[in-house]
Amino acid sequence: MLYRKLYSFDYEEARDVPEAISLLQTHGTEAAVMAGGIGLIEEMKRRAVTPKVVVSLQPIDQLKFLDVSDGNLRIGALSKLSHGEQSNVVKEGFPALWEAIAQISSAQVRNMGTIVGNITACNPGSDVATALVALDASVKIADGNGGKCIPIKSFGVHSRKNILKPGEIVTEIIVPCLAPGAQTAFLNLARTKEDCAKVVVAVNARVTEGVIEDIKIALGAVAPTIVRATTVETMLLGEKPSEGLIQAASERASQENMVTPISDIRSTSQYRSQMVSVLTRRALTRVFQNHMN
Amino acid sequence: MKKIEATFIVNGNPYEIYVDSHALLIEVLRDELGCKLNGVHESCGSGDCGACTVLVDGEPILSCMTLAVSVRGKAITTIEGLAKGTELHPLQEAFVSNGAIQCGYCTPGMILSAKGLLDQNPNPSELEVKKALAGNLCRCTGYKKIIDAVLRVSKGGN
Repeated sequence: MLYRKLYSFDYEEARDVPEAISLLQTHGTEAAVMAGGIGLIEEMKRRAVTPKVVVSLQPIDQLKFLDVSDGNLRIGALSKLSHGEQSNVVKEGFPALWEAIAQISSAQVRNMGTIVGNITACNPGSDVATALVALDASVKIADGNGGKCIPIKSFGVHSRKNILKPGEIVTEIIVPCLAPGAQTAFLNLARTKEDCAKVVVAVNARVTEGVIEDIKIALGAVAPTIVRATTVETMLLGEKPSEGLIQAASERASQENMVTPISDIRSTSQYRSQMVSVLTRRALTRVFQNHMN
Repeated sequence: MKKIEATFIVNGNPYEIYVDSHALLIEVLRDELGCKLNGVHESCGSGDCGACTVLVDGEPILSCMTLAVSVRGKAITTIEGLAKGTELHPLQEAFVSNGAIQCGYCTPGMILSAKGLLDQNPNPSELEVKKALAGNLCRCTGYKKIIDAVLRVSKGGN
């Protein structure tokens, strides 16, 4: 039978993070790192990447965790999307993230793909990355030299391009637990639930004594990376939630400088812009619903 | 490229073979084990259709998007592993009696996705069945009879 085969490459398994870094540094740009594998294999099948060596992280037990400690949710690099979907800690403590994870693609893909892999792919329409930007998550990177931790909104530099250099891997994502009283919302728009989104909106807001004290609005699929609607956030901070305010804020959302949607097979630029406003209005209505008269 | 010595546990039977590092699980199951598990089907080859679905440690995965070496030692189930001799698995019975099969190409993947669901959740709602089968495309039946067949097994007590 004729299969869509892979070309030949060498395969190495790392037993711990230092060994993974060492293997990746030895092979430099000729190496690709594999966690769940589905994204890498898809890219190798269409020859978008052609590594000579695939370094698998799968045997590294230290990267298999998904738990809350010291006020943060910690997502290990080998946590599958299905682990997030099945986690009550995620479902109850981080509902916007859970909604983003649980509706991605198919059961098979969620059983294979990792949460970290979804982030490192830097798909500008990533549901999970959009939720994580609204939740102000950080990405922990191992580089064989002490490592570093960076905000997730700085991790993607362009569509399908992240800041990782050869020899670096993401070991975990750190998500701060929601502040008391914080409300979140996740909304996306896609042709079918399994398809990539046309527009994604995630909001994380806190109202104290009737006034918006904190708000983060993340927009996906409308720019080369996930973006924050910062002028809308500034407009909302310190205000009292009202229908009029939500209407004005959501209209402003599509006018953000960073919102530069493209036209492609899924949507036109104009439609995406309009839907940024619609989804932002719905998301803001959801997070402020208990604070409006 | 070097070959890697590997043991694959498929439908309860161990197979010790040498496998290419770049071989996909579907290639190994169909061509390399010596038992021609041709119920594993390739269609899109890119992770969209679910025809190549098999169970690894009980979870549905896509065998055309999986490096064979990455699942050595794990319990793999293909459609050939469901029937006991001539006695069909209840899901297979339900697909036949419910008219949930037409050309049959998607059927092994459909049944294995359904088995993955029912083993975890023996009494799923219709929505849960739809969600579990969302990654399996069928171009013949329109899905209704497939969903009905899975619900029939869940209600009949698998």
